[in-house]
Amino acid sequence: MPLLETVGVKVRFGGNVALDDVSISIEPGSITGLIGPNGAGKTTLFNAITGLQSVSSGSVMLNGKDVTKFAPHKRARLGLARTFQRLELFTSLSVRDNIRVAGEIRNRWKSIGGGRMDATAEADRIIDLVGLRDVADREVGEIPTGNARVVELARALMIQPSLLLLDEPASGQTEDETEAFGKLLRKLAAEDGLGICLVEHDMDLVMNVCETIHVLEFGRIISSGSAEHVRTDPVVIDAYLGAPESVG
Amino acid sequence: MQQFVQYTILGLVLGGVYFIAASGLVVTYTTSGIFNFSQGAIAMLAAFTYWQLRWGWGWPAPIALLVVLGVLAPALGAVLYQVVMKNLRGTSEVTKIVVSVGVMLGFLALATWVWNPTASSPRNFQKFFGANAIVEIFGVRITWHEIISFVLALGIAAGIRFLFVRTRSGVAMRAVVDDPELLELNGGRPERLATISWAGGAFLAALAGILITPITGSSMSANALTLLVIDAFAAAMFGRLKSLPRTFVGAIVLGLTNYYVVAYFPSSWTWTSAFRQSIPMIMLFIILIILPQDRLRGTTVLRTRERFHMPTMRTAWIAALVLVVVMFSLQTIMQPSPMKTLAYGMTLAMIALSLVLLTGLAGEINLAALSFGAIGTIVVFHFGTTGSGLDARMTLWGIVLASLVCAVVGAVVALPALRLRGLYLALATMAFGVFVSKMVLSEGNPRRLFGRDFTIFPGGTLRIPRPKIGPVDFNSDKAFLTLVTVLFALLAIGLVAIRHSGYGRRLAAMKDSPAACATLGMSVVRLKLSVFMLSAAVAGLGGVLMSAQLGAVSAERFDIFLSLSLLMVTVVGGIGYASGALLAGLFLGCSLLAMTNTLTKLGADYASIQAIFAFMISAVTVLPATIGITMGKNPSGAVTDIVKGLNDIKQARPLMFTIIGFEVGIWLLTATDVLTNWNFVILTAINLLVVPPLGGAIMKKRAYAKAGVAPPTPAEFIGIDRAYTQLDLDEMESVLGFDALGVAAPVLHEGEPAHAPA
Repeated sequence: MPLLETVGVKVRFGGNVALDDVSISIEPGSITGLIGPNGAGKTTLFNAITGLQSVSSGSVMLNGKDVTKFAPHKRARLGLARTFQRLELFTSLSVRDNIRVAGEIRNRWKSIGGGRMDATAEADRIIDLVGLRDVADREVGEIPTGNARVVELARALMIQPSLLLLDEPASGQTEDETEAFGKLLRKLAAEDGLGICLVEHDMDLVMNVCETIHVLEFGRIISSGSAEHVRTDPVVIDAYLGAPESVG
Repeated sequence: MQQFVQYTILGLVLGGVYFIAASGLVVTYTTSGIFNFSQGAIAMLAAFTYWQLRWGWGWPAPIALLVVLGVLAPALGAVLYQVVMKNLRGTSEVTKIVVSVGVMLGFLALATWVWNPTASSPRNFQKFFGANAIVEIFGVRITWHEIISFVLALGIAAGIRFLFVRTRSGVAMRAVVDDPELLELNGGRPERLATISWAGGAFLAALAGILITPITGSSMSANALTLLVIDAFAAAMFGRLKSLPRTFVGAIVLGLTNYYVVAYFPSSWTWTSAFRQSIPMIMLFIILIILPQDRLRGTTVLRTRERFHMPTMRTAWIAALVLVVVMFSLQTIMQPSPMKTLAYGMTLAMIALSLVLLTGLAGEINLAALSFGAIGTIVVFHFGTTGSGLDARMTLWGIVLASLVCAVVGAVVALPALRLRGLYLALATMAFGVFVSKMVLSEGNPRRLFGRDFTIFPGGTLRIPRPKIGPVDFNSDKAFLTLVTVLFALLAIGLVAIRHSGYGRRLAAMKDSPAACATLGMSVVRLKLSVFMLSAAVAGLGGVLMSAQLGAVSAERFDIFLSLSLLMVTVVGGIGYASGALLAGLFLGCSLLAMTNTLTKLGADYASIQAIFAFMISAVTVLPATIGITMGKNPSGAVTDIVKGLNDIKQARPLMFTIIGFEVGIWLLTATDVLTNWNFVILTAINLLVVPPLGGAIMKKRAYAKAGVAPPTPAEFIGIDRAYTQLDLDEMESVLGFDALGVAAPVLHEGEPAHAPA
């Protein structure tokens, strides 16, 4: 059974259709890419999946359960976590506390899978895992954007999700950081069986780590398939990637 | 039937005027994202100004109207935006609310200053063409004033709708609040549009003020007139601050209900008049309950400008100890009367502490902290005292019960608004505050409840004794001051402890990003509810002690405007810190009183220039509002600066010891009656205000001389006073984050001017 399935999701803003009949599914242990020009509806899709945006029609299924009418926090408790493109960090807390508090929030869930965690110890483990040791005790507002995106990832991992939605996690990262980041994603998918969905403009990262890629334009999926398929699809080249020599 | 028609028409007219005021709110909110709490005060100022021109100076009505509506009101709105509101972009909702509340309080103080409320002859505000310009419709007599009001409301409704939907600048106005930068990129001019809309909003407020004053037949009281237009909040809320047609419907329903209550409630019900005044607030409450849930948005600003640093537990304990020691030393040399004032200030500080908990830690707002104090006081009065006469004492059980009841009432107040944004909770608390003032504190008559006679607020004044806890009696001024000081210190330590706990971290997380919290699986509503209840309990406790300090309390002590002042001064002091609450309580409870008392005394002593002192007293009453309005520039509060200063002093040990030594010396001299108390105050002020900067400057100079290095060049003079170094470039690079953007860091080559490679 797929971790996530969206069935014909449609989102309207007044007269504008932001998402039109979007159906995707994500399997455990897989990494799915979501690409497309700005304004194509990628973040809106994430918002619809996490419940921050209600859908006009269609449905969202988590683990085969219809959660279309669920509040965001109920969906999170079913194993869904995300990061934000416009950073949503807790600016009055340090990096370490940003990550720790996610564990403390999880400890308050009514039904905790695997019981309560020691949030402090778990935060330390995750900090090492994602490589934030050097900045762990700094104010989160002071660290570079590249690091801040990793903090969002670490925070999301604290609630031990089975499905992770990452919204442009590599923007603001250096090339080295992005490379390490790609390795980390593959490790999370392979070893922990996490399903990951990635919105990203860094084509190297997307083409390297994603098994499946969906291309969105004006709220519709215009192409889906492997990296090779998408890269050579004339529709995608026309809408987003541009001529092959300019692919960066 | 004729009665029905009569009251329907009157209701429609009142509704029309409500709509005019409410549409002004919608217009300014749509274009600037600021809910203008000062709307009512603008209406009040306009009514007073119009009265002054029309009847005070006898100008003809058309000219007076032209001056007020055509010139003064729009100018006021435009200036308000340009000088105050413009600075609020990028601040939190709390700051936005507090600043516009500050403007409201400022206008109120200004009006009482200019138009003396205790004037010998009552101000007579007449309808257009006088009260006798009447026409008969359906056998009902209606004044021209009322007809004009309703027609104007219809015209304005149509006009604004046309403007927003059909014209380019109207559409652009709606775009301003969504994304001013995007609008600017598309060739719009958000600043100009916002200014125009504020001018328009002020015009509508002024019009509403001039129309409504004679309709309600109320006396020209600044507070009452301001509250009258605040009633329009409910109508604007019904339109969700967006939809004008719904606002219109809300306003009309409001106006009709108001008159139907008068018409059809049995005249034997003594509470009809109080109920009528509370209708808008009750409706606001109902609207909050039925409004659909807000979409959880991400934070609209990436980084708010408010910054609060968390003190360590050790610092909290030391600060609390210092406070207790200082207060204890002070009370040994103090006269009873200032000691009472000080204790009053400390109880206000305790109420302010409830605001620090709610706003500073959790980012939610309570505009009626003192109303919870009123509830607590009523509970203690009825269930929490023993003995009678001079032997009456408040019991520990009474204090606990009062806090518990306040927590429960807090839950009831907050529950409907918790699903919604912070602004709505703020409005719900304000509705509660007005309701308590109008409906609860006015209950001086006995009522039969469950077969028993019961009076909630007998005689308009409650006598509240001081507490006796176990064997310890806190009846004397000294003992009571010690009690409130120690309690404040303990609560402050508790506050810091909360901030360091998992609960405090979850509160901080909720404040910073509700959206992120929800996607981590947090039930935001439950957390908000718990902190609101806790805060209400603290406010109740503080309120009970405030009443015990005063001995006898009347309803005015819990006035909504006092709650608003306290919130504002706390935010100015620093809403993130217990010390901000202390500063706020002492300022509002002691300094203001001390200043006005001193000036009054000076005025009596020097009768020939008494007018000057009277003027200064009025200026002092405007002071808190003036400070509040400037918040937009420094939203983190005064304590931030003070703490920074203290830290500098802590680094400079000799300076710290000098100051402490001086202070102990002054205290000893006063305790042994060598110095008078006045000299103590003056010398202390010099010691605390003058010595630190002076000594600091001297020490800095010495330190640099000793180390043999030049003092550092301020950043803006680098490159002028001395050349760039690689160190400067590295620092600049780390601040700008070139590295993260994948741009090579600039390297300074020998003999080459510094520049960043393309």
